[in-house]
Amino acid sequence: MSGTTSTARSAEATVPAGRRAIAFLQRYGILIIIALLMAGLTVLSDSFLTPRNLLNIVNQSAPLAIIACALTLVIIGGGFDLSAGAVFGVASVSAAWLAVNVDPTLGIIAGPLVGLVLGLVNGLIITGFNVHSFLATLASSMVFRGIAILITGGALIPVRMEEFAWLGRGRVGIVNIAVIVFVVFALAMMFLLNRTTFGRRVFAVGGNEEAAILSGVRTNLVKIATFGLTGFAAGLAGVIAVSRISMGQPQAGVGMELDAIAAVILGGTSIYGGKGAIWRSVAGVLLLSLIGNGFNILNVNPFFKDLTTGLIIVVAVALSAGRKRR
Amino acid sequence: MNVKSIALGVGMAALLGSAAHAADYRIAYLAASSQNGFNQAIWEGVQKAAKARGVEVEIFNGEFDATKQFSQVEDIVAGGKFQGIVITPNDSVGIAAAVEEATKAGVKVATTLFPIGPKLDVLEPQVPGLVTTVASNPAIGAKAQADAVIEFCKDKNPCKVAIIIGQKIYPFDNLRYQTYLDTLKPQSNIEIVATVEGNYDPDKSMAGMQDVLQAHKDINVVLSNADQHLVGAEIALEDAGLDVPSLYLIGGGANQIAIDAIKAGKWDATLAQLPRSEGEYALNGVVDALEGKPTPAFTDELKLGGDMPAIITKKALDEHPDYKPEWQG
Repeated sequence: MSGTTSTARSAEATVPAGRRAIAFLQRYGILIIIALLMAGLTVLSDSFLTPRNLLNIVNQSAPLAIIACALTLVIIGGGFDLSAGAVFGVASVSAAWLAVNVDPTLGIIAGPLVGLVLGLVNGLIITGFNVHSFLATLASSMVFRGIAILITGGALIPVRMEEFAWLGRGRVGIVNIAVIVFVVFALAMMFLLNRTTFGRRVFAVGGNEEAAILSGVRTNLVKIATFGLTGFAAGLAGVIAVSRISMGQPQAGVGMELDAIAAVILGGTSIYGGKGAIWRSVAGVLLLSLIGNGFNILNVNPFFKDLTTGLIIVVAVALSAGRKRR
Repeated sequence: MNVKSIALGVGMAALLGSAAHAADYRIAYLAASSQNGFNQAIWEGVQKAAKARGVEVEIFNGEFDATKQFSQVEDIVAGGKFQGIVITPNDSVGIAAAVEEATKAGVKVATTLFPIGPKLDVLEPQVPGLVTTVASNPAIGAKAQADAVIEFCKDKNPCKVAIIIGQKIYPFDNLRYQTYLDTLKPQSNIEIVATVEGNYDPDKSMAGMQDVLQAHKDINVVLSNADQHLVGAEIALEDAGLDVPSLYLIGGGANQIAIDAIKAGKWDATLAQLPRSEGEYALNGVVDALEGKPTPAFTDELKLGGDMPAIITKKALDEHPDYKPEWQG
């Protein structure tokens, strides 16, 4: 191990400083873009760099970041989940319906569990029928969205109850409970991915599935687990969102799966599997949130928001792609 | 067989004949999205009128997809199963070509929520053969909302307004937004401090309002085209420690949530919309046309509410205690 490290160090030392700098820029491109954006927004608006606004950004990002953290495992494992937005929708309306009709606490508990079940269903379909995760989750998202409509009849479900709103709107000091949930969840996912046998198997499955099978890894179980985790995360995010706005809505989470995928890829996790990190996905989510926050604070015409977001994504992904080519 | 039996037989035949004639009409309702609460309420109106007129109706889900809805019109014309269509267009301009083909093929078509054709503020049918339009001019509604804001702001200088619009990419939302600007900007005391796209989503509206409040905690008015936006905005305002009843909050759609909030004194007003009535009027228009009866070229939705004003306030609700919103939200 130490031999390998010293060889790598000596190889690094032979690389010219200019190329090392470029490699550094490419490796940490996402963080550099975030820093530049923050510097720009600080100059342009007095309201940006305040603790209140920074907490506001993290709080707004929490549901998407929770999904992106778990989705990172799916993508590192070589999979794709296009149903996360629909799971978010089903979990949120299930939670709202149970809160109104049975018990608010039961609603909060049920959301992530509904998500977990739907995620496991995804995993079982993908492994049991050997269907590509892209197609399987595209189909299941339609089924899940239909379930959300059946639960609500297309209408909103108002849940104005203190016992339900605490998760989305409650605070510990100045920090929102949703932020605490997100931080705990992200740390748990980091631990799972980087410090456990399961995490190493996720990398192995995404890096080379055949080699993983030959090494005795039960790849199907690993895949089912990653989809189950993403379902759980989508359910948890759904409950936070529905608790925050005190309203269950069947259309909740439409397009959210694409935002989550964009954040994961934007962070630099490989779309082909086998490489990635949770912190990268969190950075991707924060970058997307910063753009939205900046536009609203500066009152820029919303027409320019998508344009700018798209351009920044292209730059960030191009930087990351350059790193991979090297 | 005596005369009495013959008369009874003739009477029964006539009755059965007329019943069969009514049931022969099949009308398709092409929802912009069958998963949307507003469209569901239009569908309720369509079903109610269909039951009263003795015709069969079937709903098609447009999935908020203009291309899909275009194909649905083409399929219905090609299939020959339906004699009439009630449509809530996703793309009120693009669908015109398909609707024109339908009317040429003899299918009777009525549109709800929006006119069909290049001009969003013209209710008279712009497509040859279109039976009737049951909608309101988005510009008139938006002007009424902006006028209500001017009235609230008359003693305030500056009066800071935040606007939450659906999506500026939609022509009808763009028209509403432009009307807001055209009406409010000439007022020297009114300052439009922020514009946020709410995308008809309380969560997105809440996040947008939270951002706006970072820079402008002293706003006086939230003006929005949709009640769903105010649901999110209200939460952001409360969380920021603002006294919501002292602000002026005006939305659009008049759903149950808005009416409850206005009655409770939290919101101030909403623009009336009557989706169930829209569905009823449109279905009746199509069946009238099929039966050869005269049909009005258009029905202005804003005038369907009787003497309830277009801008519904607490005062108006107090004066009309029996008023019931036509959709949940």
